Amino acid sequence: MSLSRKQYWIACLFLLPAFAIFGMFFFYPFLQSIYYSFTEWNGIKAPRYIGFDNYRYLFQDVQMLDGMKNTLKMVVFGLVVQNPLALLLAVLLNRKFRTRGFLRTSFYLPVIISLVVTSVVWGEILKFDGFANGILTHIIGEARLQDWLGTVYTSFPTIILLTQWQAIGYCAMIYLAGLQAIPTDIYEAADIEGAKGFALFRHVTFPMLMPSVTIVLFLTIVGALRLFDLPFLLTNGGPGSSSYTLFLAVYNAAFKNQSYGYATAGSIVLTLFIIIVTVIQLGITRRREVEL
Amino acid sequence: MGLNKRPSLLLEGILFLAALAFLFPVVFLLEMSFKEPRYFFKPFELPHSLYLDYYKSAFRDMDFFQGLSNTVLITAGALLLTIFVASMAGYVLSRRTERLFRFAYLFFLSGMIIPGVGSLIPLFRMAVDIHLMNTRTLLVLIYTAGFIPFASFLYAAFTKSIPRELEESANLDGCGPLRLYWLIIFPLLLPATGTFIVTNVYGVWNDFLTPLIFLNNPNRMTLMPQIVQFMFNKQSVNYGPVFAVSVLAVLPLIVLFAFTQKYMLRGLTAGAVKG
Repeated sequence: MSLSRKQYWIACLFLLPAFAIFGMFFFYPFLQSIYYSFTEWNGIKAPRYIGFDNYRYLFQDVQMLDGMKNTLKMVVFGLVVQNPLALLLAVLLNRKFRTRGFLRTSFYLPVIISLVVTSVVWGEILKFDGFANGILTHIIGEARLQDWLGTVYTSFPTIILLTQWQAIGYCAMIYLAGLQAIPTDIYEAADIEGAKGFALFRHVTFPMLMPSVTIVLFLTIVGALRLFDLPFLLTNGGPGSSSYTLFLAVYNAAFKNQSYGYATAGSIVLTLFIIIVTVIQLGITRRREVEL
Repeated sequence: MGLNKRPSLLLEGILFLAALAFLFPVVFLLEMSFKEPRYFFKPFELPHSLYLDYYKSAFRDMDFFQGLSNTVLITAGALLLTIFVASMAGYVLSRRTERLFRFAYLFFLSGMIIPGVGSLIPLFRMAVDIHLMNTRTLLVLIYTAGFIPFASFLYAAFTKSIPRELEESANLDGCGPLRLYWLIIFPLLLPATGTFIVTNVYGVWNDFLTPLIFLNNPNRMTLMPQIVQFMFNKQSVNYGPVFAVSVLAVLPLIVLFAFTQKYMLRGLTAGAVKG
């Protein structure tokens, strides 16, 4: 065997473990889920092919429908509110504040706290006679107080706001890293050209930041679609099905009701959702990225 | 953007207040874990003494150290296995141009877009069939599979900065490919390894869903589902012990965060390069 042949096979051996683990514990189960989504399957009897029935039923199921609606709300909120806020925060944190180290740490610390602990803490703060309402009495008056997580109209908006405690800091950090990667001589050149304030941001900073925007938007969308822990722990989707997310509905269909076939159909819809939104988003932001 | 000017005090004041608001829940968590039962339900009362009973109860009513050791084992196992397999894969992905390797690149890329959710249900059945249900090994394998795409790309990106001449001269010296990799290349990839660890250790440690589905034996349970179970099993509504356990579960991460904060920012940029 020639040397280059030998090197080729050795390279294949280097690739093999990662290939095998990824294939067996990620990709193969994903392919299986496509097949299972067309079957009726409770985990005991063999799966039985039923065509598109699972998918048809998805769109009549209140929990799935509310889950889809809420998931969509979370995506929109993430793109329209969370992102600009995170970008603003990053621009501010990039300036020479005296307390910059403290500021950065405080906004980033929540990111490392688990969602379980987040639920424990915020569940206690938000309960009806808890801390939040104690403060709100003085601001909006006792008559307007709500059980924020226990009322149909406020439960999901409250959960969306809770996600921001971690999401803003996380996204801001990525933007901050992007801002710091912009070479300073570009600013010097812009300064000579007379660009200032918002114009400078719009025509210089923002285009240079486009790769970070791509990453953050991608993470925002994927994060929004995977929202599970907070509604599972804080409201269990309730009251009624007002705070269901698609992910939570899929989880319950599978591990509570043992309708595995039906649940995989839900997860395929979620997957398609993610792929479509990601492709659109990448198409829009990638085009605007500028090369150095 | 006036990079050299100092921003106004007013702006700094506003940001400072916002930062305090973000910090508040962490302080609240700590405070509640020390708050005597008498004051527990009075939100505006501070603890009056160093009350440690919740911590005692946490150690007594819950097998904290079992949970901790499971969490440490699974986290370390998943990170180490990923570093082992993904660094080798990333290295050859960036060095070889044959069709097989280009295909592998796309194959891994699919893992960045397809969400793990879809795989969970078939994985659950597979775990039952191959008798890996309720094992820490299974969790390590599932996390590793999820990390492989990101980690391989990270290692591939870092490999590009290592000159090929290094390998050629090592080859001439009669160094075999495995020794060449582990003795020369892998040490040079250490920044990638550091980046991978500081950006992903939190995800495994804090994960709730995967152990919830794949572990139901109390001896194998990690901290997060353990806390949730502890909360649901509590007869009284005084969550003091739950807060104490939460503090203990978060503490190792805060310590780690304090030491690695500056590397984290760098890690996020590296992630952005890959995109």
